[in-house]
Amino acid sequence: MLRYQEDNELHRDFHGTTNTTLDYIAKHYGVDALKMILRKTGHDVYKSIHDKLAKGNASELIEHLNWFFYREQGKYQLTVSENEIVLEVFECPAIRHLHKMGREVSPYICLQTSEVNAGMCEGTPWVSEVKVVGEGHCIQTFRKEAGHDTK
Amino acid sequence: MIPSDHFVRFYNEVFKFLDERDGLQPYYEEISRHQDDHCLVLFKAKGLRGVYEYYQRIYKEENCQGPLVLNEHELILGMDRCPSLSKAIDNDAGACPKYCLHCPGWTCRIYRLAGLFQIFDLMELDKPHCYEWIYDDLELAKAKYKELVAGMPQDGSHYIVVSDERIKG
Repeated sequence: MLRYQEDNELHRDFHGTTNTTLDYIAKHYGVDALKMILRKTGHDVYKSIHDKLAKGNASELIEHLNWFFYREQGKYQLTVSENEIVLEVFECPAIRHLHKMGREVSPYICLQTSEVNAGMCEGTPWVSEVKVVGEGHCIQTFRKEAGHDTK
Repeated sequence: MIPSDHFVRFYNEVFKFLDERDGLQPYYEEISRHQDDHCLVLFKAKGLRGVYEYYQRIYKEENCQGPLVLNEHELILGMDRCPSLSKAIDNDAGACPKYCLHCPGWTCRIYRLAGLFQIFDLMELDKPHCYEWIYDDLELAKAKYKELVAGMPQDGSHYIVVSDERIKG
């Protein structure tokens, strides 16, 4: 069950403000500060996902990834096994919308994904990784580290 | 990707970070400058009608609840339930106490440049409701400001922002 499950109208232009904000924070406060904010967002805003992961339960994370990429009409494939979740995004909805808006894509656009995902996993048996394959194409992996027993 | 649905909760974390460093105002100005291509162009070209058209789309896309009324020299933007602060509150990370200030923070500059006069009653900063009046006539804006201040509770619960100091008379 999702802690946040919006299902009404979507304001995609928010991707534009996120893009501006990523550049602004990096330029004025540094990339480490940006990472800190993003990681805190992953950890604190997605507390429910984080706390479930800490108990070995990835159900909300899986639902979160599926729901929001589906809702934003992303092209993606989600593959789930016992200790690994792989989300391959073939066309990132945020980057697609930035192009539609005529915005230059921030060099930190994928950092938002890697740091938010890392924040969700922080202090849990799960680790995350983001491989950027090309613009708008990435592979996000969540892997449960061996040796953790949360039962 | 932070879903566009969750942008507000990320924004809220950014506000907390910037507020601790006294950095909110320059950030609002940067956000405002990024609205020049669409909001400012539209507002300059069509005046209050342009603001009305912009907010018709925003009310729908952002699921706002409240009146949006265009009169001859006045536009009323009412938020009986602001979706933005509602999300910041419905949030395991907790809302930034200054969350509401971003709204006048980026819009005041746009209205000034468009030759419009804004009065923003943020009411209580921890409740998702506010009212905004925008005029294309300074004298009407002054009259509205005077009326609002006269009827305002004296308990400090209301927070009024104007886009142009001349509105205060």
